[in-house]
Amino acid sequence: MRDLDAGDLARKLTLADLALRPVGAGWLRPGLLALALLGLVLPSVSRRPWFWLLLAALAGLRLISSWPLADNHAYLLAYWCLAVAIASRESDPAPALAWSGRVLIGLVFTFAVLWKAISPDFLDGRFFRVTLVLDGRLESFTRIVGGLDADELFERRALLAQHADGVAPDTLAVPKEPTRFRTVAWLATLATFASEGALALAFLWPLGRGPSRLRDPLLIGFCAITYLVAPVSGFGWLLIALGVAQTPPDGFRTRVAYLVVFGLVYVYDEIDRAGLLNTL
Amino acid sequence: MTARALRWLPPALLVAVALHQLWLASTRHLTPWCGGGFGMFSTTDGRYARHLHVYGTSPGVRVEFEIPPELDERVRAAVALPEDQRLRALARDFAPYAVSDFESPDSIRLEVYATRWDAATLAPSGVLLAEVEVPIAGP
Repeated sequence: MRDLDAGDLARKLTLADLALRPVGAGWLRPGLLALALLGLVLPSVSRRPWFWLLLAALAGLRLISSWPLADNHAYLLAYWCLAVAIASRESDPAPALAWSGRVLIGLVFTFAVLWKAISPDFLDGRFFRVTLVLDGRLESFTRIVGGLDADELFERRALLAQHADGVAPDTLAVPKEPTRFRTVAWLATLATFASEGALALAFLWPLGRGPSRLRDPLLIGFCAITYLVAPVSGFGWLLIALGVAQTPPDGFRTRVAYLVVFGLVYVYDEIDRAGLLNTL
Repeated sequence: MTARALRWLPPALLVAVALHQLWLASTRHLTPWCGGGFGMFSTTDGRYARHLHVYGTSPGVRVEFEIPPELDERVRAAVALPEDQRLRALARDFAPYAVSDFESPDSIRLEVYATRWDAATLAPSGVLLAEVEVPIAGP
């Protein structure tokens, strides 16, 4: 286990991501799944550049065939597979993989935080005030942490989801949120913006200096917390695979920490959130 | 091309696609959640905050139609990126479904709305993002 290098583990985790949560529609889905399983069963195949080039091509085809609907991590998957294909051409792919993992993570969070900065309704708190109510995937967080009970939540959801086309906003009345919910929405806004900004800075900062030294704990913490709330395990696992790739050769404990969080994200997905709510 | 130079290809693609997405979002109403710009969880203006109305129109008559499940995927793409060409193609695809109790309409009208929530009260209001009206060819 101590000999497991970062590049090998990163490749395996990428393939595990594809095998655990198959992606794509039509023939792309079994195609990507079969390739992922092949790479996991035959590690020598998963070190070949053509294998990753094929995965990158299928991932790219998925983006084109579903344009513009693909999720953002579908794009990251295609870039990462291409990066692994390019790195696999080298006699020692680890440095190239580490560089690509670090830069791709840094750019993902740079654009994520840029969008939050320019969005008209993120920094004023509206995004979470609306999304915590309307997005059913976040219902457990809204009820457990936000403190809305089922009746309050469904009542607010009905009001916010109205199709009020052409109606002036001041003609509709939406009751004010409870203080606790509003505080939670504010904290979520600030925490999301601050953590994504810090991640962008840490991963793009020159290696070994300043914020760069915090990049692993920041990403591990981000994945451990974010994917408990947001059930987007595919994105979480992919970020973890990229995170593992950029760990230093002697960063065994860091890789173990990433692996633990990879497992945690799986456990989060398996939690029966609805059942948990019913017991409260 | 050297191996070191090739390494720049994936990050360069990421940046190019993300800048293109920023441009589409600012000029063509692409939802920031889509298009590879990593704008997810940054705005309420996601696909689920957008909806489409489909009308069959004839002189003095306007009838709203249900969206058939077969067209769901294309409707999702059209509300995410409501470009004129995409909406016109979708309107033509609606034609076979747009038959009222009395007759086929003269044209199909599509309207894409986005819900915005008031900054203070969160009261929702629908904003028209795009509209097209496409004549239906006669038999």
